[in-house]
Amino acid sequence: MEAFGVWLGFLTLLTIGLGFPLVILIERWLGWLWWPYLLGLGVFLAIASLFVENTWGSAWLGLLGATCAWGATELKKQARRAELGWFPFHPQKIDPPFKEVIRKWKAPSL
Amino acid sequence: MNERSEFLHPERSSDNPSWDIITGMEINGVGVVSAISALLGIAFGHVVVRWLEFHIERLWLAILAFVWGGFVLEGLSLAVNPLYLKISLGIWGMTLLWDAIELFRQQRRVQRGHAPANPGNPRHRRFLDDPSLSATPVDRLRDEFPSLDG
Repeated sequence: MEAFGVWLGFLTLLTIGLGFPLVILIERWLGWLWWPYLLGLGVFLAIASLFVENTWGSAWLGLLGATCAWGATELKKQARRAELGWFPFHPQKIDPPFKEVIRKWKAPSL
Repeated sequence: MNERSEFLHPERSSDNPSWDIITGMEINGVGVVSAISALLGIAFGHVVVRWLEFHIERLWLAILAFVWGGFVLEGLSLAVNPLYLKISLGIWGMTLLWDAIELFRQQRRVQRGHAPANPGNPRHRRFLDDPSLSATPVDRLRDEFPSLDG
């Protein structure tokens, strides 16, 4: 288990890699206003990982949570990229619950 | 408790049963430590890669530094014993190695006009002067988008 951190580093890269299509597809079909739900899912997964006894399982659930939380900060930027034509733009979105409330919030971004 | 379990969960040794007393079940912090390490690593890389690519003329110096730092952190991750430290170092080291690749990719975004070019940086000046590239000093992602912002 000396190399546990190194292997987990690889697993981190693979899991973050899942985040790219996740953000692209959520933005294209659902829209960027879903960001609070994606953030909530990320926090939920990280908390759920506390109760997974298997070390690899817990680590991966935590990493998946981090990927979702980070994805939430990328959704609005992805919407801009789609508006600029850098990604395919799909005009019909499925609105999230409480859309108008979310619209008033400042989307997290770095 | 076998030897492997003792290694993975030093805080759960028989001298320290507090976890079980408080929660009634065993709590596994590996996932949360991984999540926080990954988020910190991504956030750091996101900001530092953009800043360095924007300001530094010799990009390969930054790339070498990131590769070196990544291997040092991986080496430390192999060497240290506390599990949570091992996890954080392993994740941060791998993030730094990825950031070295991202420095290249960021340069390509600048060449395409997907990230702003710095006219004060001679390397970017060449991109701006090259008519075959679409480099621009404008940060187009920061433009106003009435459909999104209105």
